[in-house]
Amino acid sequence: MLPAPAVFHFLWEVNLSTGAVKEGDSVRTFGSSFSRLVSYQPEESKATLSIQHAARQHQVVVQTTFVEPFDPIIGAQYIVLGEIEKAEGGDGVMVHARVLNCVDGVNLALLQRGVNEQRNYFRERGESKGDAATAATAAQPRAPL
Amino acid sequence: MQPEATEPEEDSVWEEPPSMLWGLDPMFNAFNRLYVKDILHMRESCQVSGIYFYNSHPIFKVDVLGTVVYKREREDFFCYGVDDGTGVINSLCWKDEQWREQGDPATLWARSFGSSTCEDFNPASELKKLRQAQHSSSHLEIGELLRVRGPVKTSRQQREIMASTYYKVSDPVMAVQISWMMEVPQLYRQCYDKPFHLDSSAQNIQGGSASYLLGRATRILKDFLKEKEVTRFRPYDVQDLLQPLVSRQSQKTASEQEPEAGPSSGPPTSFKQLRELLQKSLQILQDEGLVFRKVKCQDEVYHVTERDKDLLMAVRDILREDCRREKYAEKGCHILHILSSVRQRYSRNVSKAALVLVLKALECNSDIISTSDSHYTIL
Repeated sequence: MLPAPAVFHFLWEVNLSTGAVKEGDSVRTFGSSFSRLVSYQPEESKATLSIQHAARQHQVVVQTTFVEPFDPIIGAQYIVLGEIEKAEGGDGVMVHARVLNCVDGVNLALLQRGVNEQRNYFRERGESKGDAATAATAAQPRAPL
Repeated sequence: MQPEATEPEEDSVWEEPPSMLWGLDPMFNAFNRLYVKDILHMRESCQVSGIYFYNSHPIFKVDVLGTVVYKREREDFFCYGVDDGTGVINSLCWKDEQWREQGDPATLWARSFGSSTCEDFNPASELKKLRQAQHSSSHLEIGELLRVRGPVKTSRQQREIMASTYYKVSDPVMAVQISWMMEVPQLYRQCYDKPFHLDSSAQNIQGGSASYLLGRATRILKDFLKEKEVTRFRPYDVQDLLQPLVSRQSQKTASEQEPEAGPSSGPPTSFKQLRELLQKSLQILQDEGLVFRKVKCQDEVYHVTERDKDLLMAVRDILREDCRREKYAEKGCHILHILSSVRQRYSRNVSKAALVLVLKALECNSDIISTSDSHYTIL
């Protein structure tokens, strides 16, 4: 009845090929850094979040059917909470959003610290559940899509 | 009672601290900021339902901050599913009666002040604003941030939080969530993950540990008498049941006691303790009426009240005969009258508590019926 917990992930981790997330996982992730909410196609209910990290542009498509009416602020930072699905066309992933909140103005460095603090703690505790970092190392590498 | 090395996850080794000592743990009285994952997995206490254990700490209340991912509304309450990133838990949030609209006395009273000449303060509009603020604070939609504090309950095999306080948190730049994420691991490291150690002074509090031990001993005896459907027994027959309690106790206290002149710990002391424990437990069972000694003599024989057929028949016969008499025909016999008759006819040592149990048993069997609080008659 209750959905699965949505573990925090950074946008660049939301990628089936690294194994950090699996299809069907509930995640929450945030578009951040320089390019944020890049585009929104209301007819297709699709939004695109983007992030610059390690000199690469990462993008995630977000299905916004559950969170409409959605008032997009292009260029603002968003946090999305939803289920991972394979994107249409077979490349990359899509997040089927249950929650899409604008968090423009968030202190991203601090947010990353917070998430890492939580992950470090779980790692210390020696658990793999709820800890994306160890899950990534423990998971079998998947063939790139 | 408290093992030296606490391994709370090993059920076979770890024993709960006695409930009397839970108040010594500050976590018992605090709203603990546990991760939802831990709240869902903590084990329930065997002594008191509604109290849970995380890493040997007794937990009663929790404090959770998370996103609402599920909402169910009824007339009296909300049920919000709260997701903090590690787990999702339901929280039952009762609506506040006094902020309901229309027709409540406060509104009518306030409206009567509506035409007041004072311009600065208009009770009606202030009350309206207050009501709106209360409404927006408690009505949340999916995606909003909720803070919940309250005791944990297990209902229908699902854990949920019965919110004593809940409110919507306005967190536009995630500052609250970030500080929560930074703070909670610290709390875990400093408090929650440190095991609950009872220092030796607490363990030597004779009152606490002794009454706990006695409670357990009487429980063991009661269960034994019930399971084995015992009608009569001698102390010797049940002595061995209490042996494990005493040997554990003497191990503990021996390791912590300072060396003193007198009998050292070993078989003689533990046997004496066993006899003492047994005597005290049997006394409690007698006081409660569960057992009685029909004849007080050298041979200590205890009768289990509810299984003593002779006693039940005796009481029934008393009622049958006496209720024929005019004096008792209408109202029945008073319990004290029955008691004195039983003591004359059957045994001097039947206590009132024992008689109450007998009368209850007879009434359940539909042999007799109570005509008032303390009168009984034959059927």
